Amino acid sequence: MNDTELSLTREPGADARRPLALTPGEDLRGYLLAHLGRAVLFGMTFSSVLAVLLILLFVILRSFSFLSGYSIVEFLARRDWRPTADSPVFGSLAIIVGSLYVSFAALVFAVPLGILAAVFLSDILSWKARNLIKPMVEILAAIPSVAYGFFAVLVLAPWMQKHLGLTTGTNALNASLILAIMALPTIISVAEDSISAIGRELREASYSCGATRMETVIKVVIPAAHSGIIAAVVLGMMRAIGETMVVWMASGNATQIPQPWWDVSQSIRTMTATIAGEMGEAPEGSEHRGALFALGVLLLILTFGLNIVSEYFLSRAKKATGKA
Amino acid sequence: MNLKIRGKLDQVFTAATGLSVVLLMLILVAILGPMLYRGGNAVFFQGTVEFRKMQRDLFRRADDTTLNAEIARTEEFRRQVYAMIDEFKKGVDVEALSDEVRELHRRFGEELRAKDVPSEQYSQLRGLTRDIRDNLETAFTKRDVGEIRPLVEAALQHAENPAFKGTSAEQFFRIARSFLATAEKVDLNHQREYAAALRDVEGILFHTQDLPGLLGPRPDEPQPLLVMLRYGTTRWDQARRLLDRFFWVEEWVEGNPGQPLVMRRTARAELFPESFRPLFSYVRDNAEKMLEPRFTAYWQFFLDDNVNSHYFGGVGPEILGTLFITVVGMLFVIPLGVVSAAYLVECAPDGQVIRIIRMCINTLAGVPSIVFGLFGLAFFVLFLFPLLGFEPKPCILAASMTLAVLTLPVMIRASEEAIRAVPRSYREGSLALGSSRFHTFVSVTLPAALPGILTGVILSLSRIAGETAPILFTGAVSMGDVPRSVFDPTRTLSYGSYDMAVGDRLAMMVPHNQYGMVVTLVLLILILNTVAIVLRTRVFKKLRGQ
Repeated sequence: MNDTELSLTREPGADARRPLALTPGEDLRGYLLAHLGRAVLFGMTFSSVLAVLLILLFVILRSFSFLSGYSIVEFLARRDWRPTADSPVFGSLAIIVGSLYVSFAALVFAVPLGILAAVFLSDILSWKARNLIKPMVEILAAIPSVAYGFFAVLVLAPWMQKHLGLTTGTNALNASLILAIMALPTIISVAEDSISAIGRELREASYSCGATRMETVIKVVIPAAHSGIIAAVVLGMMRAIGETMVVWMASGNATQIPQPWWDVSQSIRTMTATIAGEMGEAPEGSEHRGALFALGVLLLILTFGLNIVSEYFLSRAKKATGKA
Repeated sequence: MNLKIRGKLDQVFTAATGLSVVLLMLILVAILGPMLYRGGNAVFFQGTVEFRKMQRDLFRRADDTTLNAEIARTEEFRRQVYAMIDEFKKGVDVEALSDEVRELHRRFGEELRAKDVPSEQYSQLRGLTRDIRDNLETAFTKRDVGEIRPLVEAALQHAENPAFKGTSAEQFFRIARSFLATAEKVDLNHQREYAAALRDVEGILFHTQDLPGLLGPRPDEPQPLLVMLRYGTTRWDQARRLLDRFFWVEEWVEGNPGQPLVMRRTARAELFPESFRPLFSYVRDNAEKMLEPRFTAYWQFFLDDNVNSHYFGGVGPEILGTLFITVVGMLFVIPLGVVSAAYLVECAPDGQVIRIIRMCINTLAGVPSIVFGLFGLAFFVLFLFPLLGFEPKPCILAASMTLAVLTLPVMIRASEEAIRAVPRSYREGSLALGSSRFHTFVSVTLPAALPGILTGVILSLSRIAGETAPILFTGAVSMGDVPRSVFDPTRTLSYGSYDMAVGDRLAMMVPHNQYGMVVTLVLLILILNTVAIVLRTRVFKKLRGQ
């Protein structure tokens, strides 16, 4: 009798020694552990932020000596880039223009094609067929850039020289065609996402007014999805501006602004290709190396700017479809 | 607007969108098709006996008895070529003949000195050979057979002199006779042209200073120092190109003034006199017998090192280097990526900090790859390594870390998606059973998300393996030893592809190896991506409960 009473008041079995309430020490330890764990996880997650900061810091730091010793106006406004001359000149205007030139030329090819393909995938194909085509677009995105460059130099360039009668196969046209192919997957997938995100209601309303599919797409769906499509174009442009291997191999690397401006058969040079091509020859601590890092800073500024624009349009697209 | 027109426009629009996708497919086929076909040539081709010789000497793989039999058979047919060329050369290449005669005279003098002949006899014999030499050398400069014959005969009258028996002077008479024989057959007015044309033929058949030829060096000449000159064409497709050059001379000539140059092909045989032309028909008929092409599957292409900047051999070290960089990179990126994704999904309140982190991840994804290269050089190689006491030079570790930063966004996004796709009920069930959040994540959410995370891992793998720009200054080299540790730079498939695509004339002569390199890379990445795509579709089907 006594024994059962005792056993009722006691904790049973194995937990006999462990009181229900935590001691203050255990409480503190548990609290610290949980927060320490969180802090560690947060620290590791923060590494992305750290990476961005370090990239900014170190690229700017390396270019600092150059930017403080060389006139920035001259750096941005002169057209001749002669890093190894006796009195070196670092005028990057032609190079910056070259980067923008091939990127815009690439967009001229890629945007119509990309939007048409996105419409085809989202509005015309059945779900099943779409799941067959999308991996193909992904494979187009997965092919490494050096393989595209390889194709540009060894297949496309000789072909252009032979069949289009150009003096050189490595020119702005070659580079921008390949860049267009490389930007297409980005443009297609982002544009397709935003076009699909426009719900059935809008489309059905349009159809019920008697519009054909073309009218629905052009007058209703695309205007409604314009934020996402703009974001797609900007992301495609980012891809084209930042691409290195293809432009290095296919653009001809001549420091010039095409004259007349629409002549795409001239060679051109971009910022990425300049960095890639000249870094090996620029000795550590030289002005030349500083100038190349300064080009890197310019690239960073450009892509950060484009990134902010794309983020803005993406969030607008999200909001727009969230309301609908 | 008219209803009919609207309908037609609609059809046109639909067709245009469809065409754009068809165009996309065509682009994909146009890029990959030729690449795969030509790259396949690096592994599957018609290999000649020279290929098997090269494999025996450089990579120690051959069946000696069959190979020796093959070499003997081919030598049998080649001997005829050597003989024809030697025969013709004797009449034509007067400079070589003069050199030979002068050399003979010198050597004969040495022989006499070695034999210790009395000085009187010595000077007499030397005088004789000097006369012979001078006669022959004058004869070589003449064009008219009428002038040549007395000179050669003057030299030949000493042929029976017993003092010359068994010495090198005998060679004089052999040369003299054969020269007279050719002089009677060949129009010597064209000697110089013949000699130049013959040098071209020899270059194509044997080898030139820096380019290998069809048959490789003659067995009687010393082995060239450059390894690639020691063998003839190892592949039948190459042999056919060389044969084409052998039979035809290509010239760019001005067609009409002001017009672009046009190519004119003339038969090389026409550059030679009748007596030499049988060589061409002989080579035409017996080329296969001299080379014995046979279908070869050179799968060791993926293992072998290259010889003479990719003239022979394969891409073994490049594959190894790529794998090395990729594996080390994954060691960094997997933990960081998975933990970041877990934190973003599981613990993060939707606050300002998280928005900043997300923005940074997106920014990181948008940074140009070449800027990662700059960053890797400036931070890892030039800042972090000296700080940690390592040598500040490009190496695998720096390249891997740079690529890890580059591919972090890919990894985070894929893992995040995978973790988010795990149904809430899994988590809630585990929490309801009283397990802690950490325990729930490790034992329930993570295993369920693992296949999706694996997809992310594979995608990052393929990204790391394919990137070139970030490793240009942080760890890739075009030539060098196989790395022994993570502190050595390495060759990689991606940088190798670049290097071969813009390479020199030598690289252009071996397109199969150029394409072989890039196809190895593309195949590696396509396989990785296909696996990732298949895995992802399966996982999402499973999690949706289909």
